[in-house]
Amino acid sequence: MIKQLLGWVALAVAAVTMVVFLTSQQSDFKVTYAGSPGGSTTPSGGRGSATVPDTAELTRLLRTSPVVRLPGAIAQWDTTAVGAAIGDSGLRILVTPPGLDDASTQRVQQLKDADLRVIGTAVSTGTYAVTGTELADWRDQFATGDVTNDLLLLIAHLRERPEPVQKHLFSWRAPTAAETAVVAADLRSSGFHRGRGSTVTSAPRSSPAFPNGRALYVTLPLQPFGRPVPEYGPALVKLFPDTPIVVMYGAWIEYYGPHAADFAEIAAATFYSQAERVLDRLAYSQQGVLDTYLNRVTDVRFAGLFDRPLPYEPPDPLRVTRPALPWVFVACVVLFVALSLRPMVRPVWRRSRAVAAGTPAQLAALTALAVEMSALTDRRSEPALARALVTLTAARDASRDDLPDEHVRALLRDAEAELDRCARLLPYRGYRPAEYLNGRIA
Amino acid sequence: MWWIWGAGGVVLFVSGFAVVAGPRRRQRATERRVAWSAARAAIATAAVSRDAAGTRAERDAEATELLRRAEAIAAARGGPDAAHEATELARAAERMWRADD
Repeated sequence: MIKQLLGWVALAVAAVTMVVFLTSQQSDFKVTYAGSPGGSTTPSGGRGSATVPDTAELTRLLRTSPVVRLPGAIAQWDTTAVGAAIGDSGLRILVTPPGLDDASTQRVQQLKDADLRVIGTAVSTGTYAVTGTELADWRDQFATGDVTNDLLLLIAHLRERPEPVQKHLFSWRAPTAAETAVVAADLRSSGFHRGRGSTVTSAPRSSPAFPNGRALYVTLPLQPFGRPVPEYGPALVKLFPDTPIVVMYGAWIEYYGPHAADFAEIAAATFYSQAERVLDRLAYSQQGVLDTYLNRVTDVRFAGLFDRPLPYEPPDPLRVTRPALPWVFVACVVLFVALSLRPMVRPVWRRSRAVAAGTPAQLAALTALAVEMSALTDRRSEPALARALVTLTAARDASRDDLPDEHVRALLRDAEAELDRCARLLPYRGYRPAEYLNGRIA
Repeated sequence: MWWIWGAGGVVLFVSGFAVVAGPRRRQRATERRVAWSAARAAIATAAVSRDAAGTRAERDAEATELLRRAEAIAAARGGPDAAHEATELARAAERMWRADD
């Protein structure tokens, strides 16, 4: 009974194991940085609203001048270098403001007369587009709107010339004492300095991107091209030690402060490599860029790489147990097989004792009685004795063939009945099996 | 590791089948042997009765026919049903021969 129960339990556990195994086969694609509270890390550009003149007008403009700058265009480049590269090839450049609407974008892309198109700071030939690969590329592009390297690369490609060497025209300068004083005063009072022309209206009061949520924000507009850019970071670090400082030039963000060497580049590289294709052609607000950048920094920080240890996560018991499932299953199978094979093996050694002890004795006694009576029978009693002997032979054969005890006993009962009938026909007393066997046993 | 599940499932199925089918098969075989053992005993007993009764019995021909059929069934072997039928025929024949006992 217990063995049967055990077999059922083993079967049930094996079934449950298999079901758990099968249901755990689904993959989970959700990746979280230790439950980072950061939001979206890719700026989702809205539809642009800027427009360009119609195709005929654009064609007319391009025919009158090799470089057409539409009102609102922000891209800048080294005109001498680009002019030299174009030479006498007659390549024409169309520069539009960022954030064009769909119809305008299509018009610009399909314009036959423009060899190079610059939408915002995204440079393309219509077929080929250039993207930055280094932080310096993105810094040039987003802090000053510099597209010189992109233009030179595409011009070389169109004219089938060797690839030009990249030159970075961007340069830093130390801010003057007066400039630093203005910024520092704002930072002391509100933690936020808004440069003239910057569109950031308010700095985040508290951001999970930084310990205690506290940081100083300096936002400046797109910097004029060709002039050194004031590098506020080092000066402010001296004034505000151990404080995270975020300085924003246009759409370019610099981080100074604790762990800057560790993660500023990682955060910037992951952010700008992903955001470039949106930032360069859309009129994305500085506020949106700043918020998205802070989300990225939050993710990096919650990845536990830098100042913040990973929060303790108790191991998922199912995940930890899962590798043991096949072995649990195998154990259940082995147990079940062992339990089910036992009754098939057992009868071999049990059979020898299966015959109840009394049956052979009774067979022997009845046979002895029959042999004794055989000398006394006459014609009337002979058939009964013969039938008894035949039945006794059958019982002996059945016993020898390991047939069930009940069957052997049934045959012995028949034989006993015949012997009894025979004994009653005999003239002598004491041969009826009941008496004879009793006397024997006594 | 995946094959463990398939192989384990097959082993479970086969052993479960064996658990049900094994004893049942053994019981059938035992039943059959018991039935034939009983049939042979009945036929042998009937034969003794026939020899004892000789041709005196009223329904000798009928009884002989029944025993002959029982022996024919036993000679052809078969399952428990055939054995039971042979047993019944032999017993019926014996009753006829022993009617005058």
